[in-house]
Amino acid sequence: MKILIADDSRVMRQIVVRTMRQAGFGDHDLIEASNGREAFDMAKAENPDLILSDWNMPEMTGIELLRQLRASGSDVKFGFVTSESTPEMKDQASAAGALFFIVKPFSAERFDEVFAPILG
Amino acid sequence: MSVEVEVNENDLAEMVEQVWESYLDPEGINPLIPTYDENQPSEVHSSVSITGSWTGHIVYASSTQAARRAAAAFLAMEADEVSQEDLTDVLGELANIVGGNVKAMLPPGAFLSLPQVVLAPESTARFPNTQRISGVYGIWDGEPVSISMWHSRADNNQEVGA
Repeated sequence: MKILIADDSRVMRQIVVRTMRQAGFGDHDLIEASNGREAFDMAKAENPDLILSDWNMPEMTGIELLRQLRASGSDVKFGFVTSESTPEMKDQASAAGALFFIVKPFSAERFDEVFAPILG
Repeated sequence: MSVEVEVNENDLAEMVEQVWESYLDPEGINPLIPTYDENQPSEVHSSVSITGSWTGHIVYASSTQAARRAAAAFLAMEADEVSQEDLTDVLGELANIVGGNVKAMLPPGAFLSLPQVVLAPESTARFPNTQRISGVYGIWDGEPVSISMWHSRADNNQEVGA
């Protein structure tokens, strides 16, 4: 599977990639985008199977990215990996079609719990 | 609009502990040992601002050596391999993670800024019309690290006047 990781923090992208490996999902094709706009363009060009996105990013936020993807007809699997988590954000994410909401700081166990059903 | 802040020092300490458990000390060997010293020195700091239902700042400050060790732990490299870019990125991420967790405890309608990093002591920073309302101060592997919350006095004044 191809997995797109969208986060404006290079450090956090690196940690997400490492945690994916620790959780046993390192064999998937992991690609990265540094903001929501870039992630949208990559989603269109690269056709990932799954997108893990930060919420708060320059250019285009994660929730805007998800909404624009859905508006453009994409039904790519999508979830948030973010340090921010409020009930209103979770509601917005769920209403826009997000599958999961992982809060930073996170563990490999949390990744396994969320991704095992999705990635098999 | 203003609200009573519901994040106390214990909450802040719990968030900080989670960051240590997840990234900085996953093996539980080098926890942040509290000093309760609000005036401990720092050499670098990072911050995020929160606006909306609560207005203020979250500040992460440490020695350069502690920031280098944090970057090494985050990026799985040796401390002497850490570049200035690694160091600033990790400082920004630390403020962002704690700020995001603080925001989660605030009433709806709070907005988190992107992080700002300054390679100078926290004592050089000025957040006009704010007061420190909470903080975790400690020593990590012999080096000072602190995380503090600053509340806008404009908010406080409104509360008093309300």
